[in-house]
Amino acid sequence: MDQYNILQIVLVFVVTFIAAIDQFSLLESLYQPIVTGPVIGLILGDVQTGLVVGGTYQLMTIGNMPVGGAQPPNAVMGGIMATVLAISLGLSPSEAVGAAIPFAILGQYGITLLFTAMSPIMSKADTYAQEANPKGIDRINYTAMIILGSIFGVIVTLFFIGGASFGEQLLAIIPAWVMNGLDAAGGMMRFVGFAILLRVMISRELWSFYFLGFALAIIIEATGSLGSSAILILAIIGFGFAFWDYQIQTRVRLSSGNISDGGGEEDGI
Amino acid sequence: MAYDIPNNYKNETPSQQLDKKTLNKMVMRSFNLQASFNYERMQAGGWLYSILPGLEKIHTDKDDLSASMSHNLEFFNTHPFLVTFVMGIVLSLEQNKVNIPTIRAVRVAAMGPLGGIGDALFWFTLVPITAGITSQMALDGSIMGPILFLLIFNLAQFAIRFWLMYWSYDLGTSAIDVLTENAAEFTRAASILGVFVVGALTVTFGATNIAGLQIPNGVTEAALPITETVAPENVSTYEDIIYEDPATEEFNPGQEEAVITELPSGNYEVTYFEVVEEDVFIDVQEILDGILPKLIPLAITMLLYYLMAFKGWTPINAILLLLILGLVGAGPFGLWPNIWG
Repeated sequence: MDQYNILQIVLVFVVTFIAAIDQFSLLESLYQPIVTGPVIGLILGDVQTGLVVGGTYQLMTIGNMPVGGAQPPNAVMGGIMATVLAISLGLSPSEAVGAAIPFAILGQYGITLLFTAMSPIMSKADTYAQEANPKGIDRINYTAMIILGSIFGVIVTLFFIGGASFGEQLLAIIPAWVMNGLDAAGGMMRFVGFAILLRVMISRELWSFYFLGFALAIIIEATGSLGSSAILILAIIGFGFAFWDYQIQTRVRLSSGNISDGGGEEDGI
Repeated sequence: MAYDIPNNYKNETPSQQLDKKTLNKMVMRSFNLQASFNYERMQAGGWLYSILPGLEKIHTDKDDLSASMSHNLEFFNTHPFLVTFVMGIVLSLEQNKVNIPTIRAVRVAAMGPLGGIGDALFWFTLVPITAGITSQMALDGSIMGPILFLLIFNLAQFAIRFWLMYWSYDLGTSAIDVLTENAAEFTRAASILGVFVVGALTVTFGATNIAGLQIPNGVTEAALPITETVAPENVSTYEDIIYEDPATEEFNPGQEEAVITELPSGNYEVTYFEVVEEDVFIDVQEILDGILPKLIPLAITMLLYYLMAFKGWTPINAILLLLILGLVGAGPFGLWPNIWG
């Protein structure tokens, strides 16, 4: 896209860099298309189009939020590219939003890839924790933010310079099985976290509660109509078990304490 | 997981109450809870980062700080906007040097349910309403759209983050006496809730399935209805297909439901049946669901637990195993179809 100067390219990079980080950190609202649309519009000299495209894209994402930790098509990549396409190619807002979908999916893949690739870095964090090195922990977090921002910034800038066909070409290079495999592996990584938690929390007598939680969650999920309240309902049930156990256990201890004090059973009657 | 985290802190004297400045600093840090998000421990890195200023004040002994940092780097995932609630409670426990299994159990028990509450509060209520109204303003070309959106969303976010931090820190501090008196029972109860929540998360977060795995199981014959509009002179061809003998209108086998109707245009609409061979597949996921839904997430979790608890596997080994499993299942180089659904 020859019609843009170097300052505009740098500004697009900076905005994408910040928005990419903001989608998980910072204010978690600057990245929304309703905000990035007019900002990119301002850079490219057409705030009005930016506003309309941003608003159009925003309405589309309302039902497409990162609910329950699932990754929807990436709104940062999609929102920014929709605005770029609308202004530079003169597409209508809804055409631009449609044309930006492949970019949003590419962004979603990028996030999956990054979250998978970031997993091994946790062992470095373990080392810092063991050394009681807070600076190291800070550094890991800041570095991760910079990496996320840079990857998104570079990709969007390349698209911005290279034009729309570039996105389709890039998607075509990566074999489908690699994407599918990474997608599946990314979805399985959380089981590592669960296994770690079980390893540190569970004792032989608590296994039944793990399976209780598992079985009740299946039943509650199967009802389907509960949506996001399912986990809260499960927590209430879990709390019921836990609190009941707490009351029984404290009473058992108190009464056995009485016996050992020499009070005997006669006192209790 | 680098080393065996002790159960008790060396210095068990409760430290001073955290001052306002430290609490505020931690609220500000909580905005970056997901900075180092990854699929293994999710928000663990950002969680530790957020509470570090408090931990540094609380644990003056280096070994204690090391133990505290290590156990706070275990799997963590909650709703990012409500995290300060967990922070306040955990910090009050850390400050009172409660034993580590209790802190861990409380942390896990508190983080799970907040996810659902936060989704309901933010993604299903606040964002759709504000974004819906302000998007309309943006569509009308008003710059107030994005500005109002940011204003409303962040006012709510800041208010909730700060209020939850102070509220839950006080709550944890005042509940501490009761907790320490019945510490063993409380730890057990919190562990029950924690383990229960992990069991539930295995289901609600366990999306892994093998719906793509379809094993060919021969073919079956199916009657496929075909409807055509034909000119009157061609009808006899179809009558030969449908009837054994057009005069008696006795159906050929398989054509019992065939129909010939005369259309107003003078043409005929003929519906007859053609026998086609269809491939039959065994849907393995369907069979597994018939035994127990979410069997695969359960099996993987159990396998990883076994490998880590009894075979000395590190989380890295487990991650590599899953990466290979994912790629192999996806049918590398098109050698076989992708089994993942």
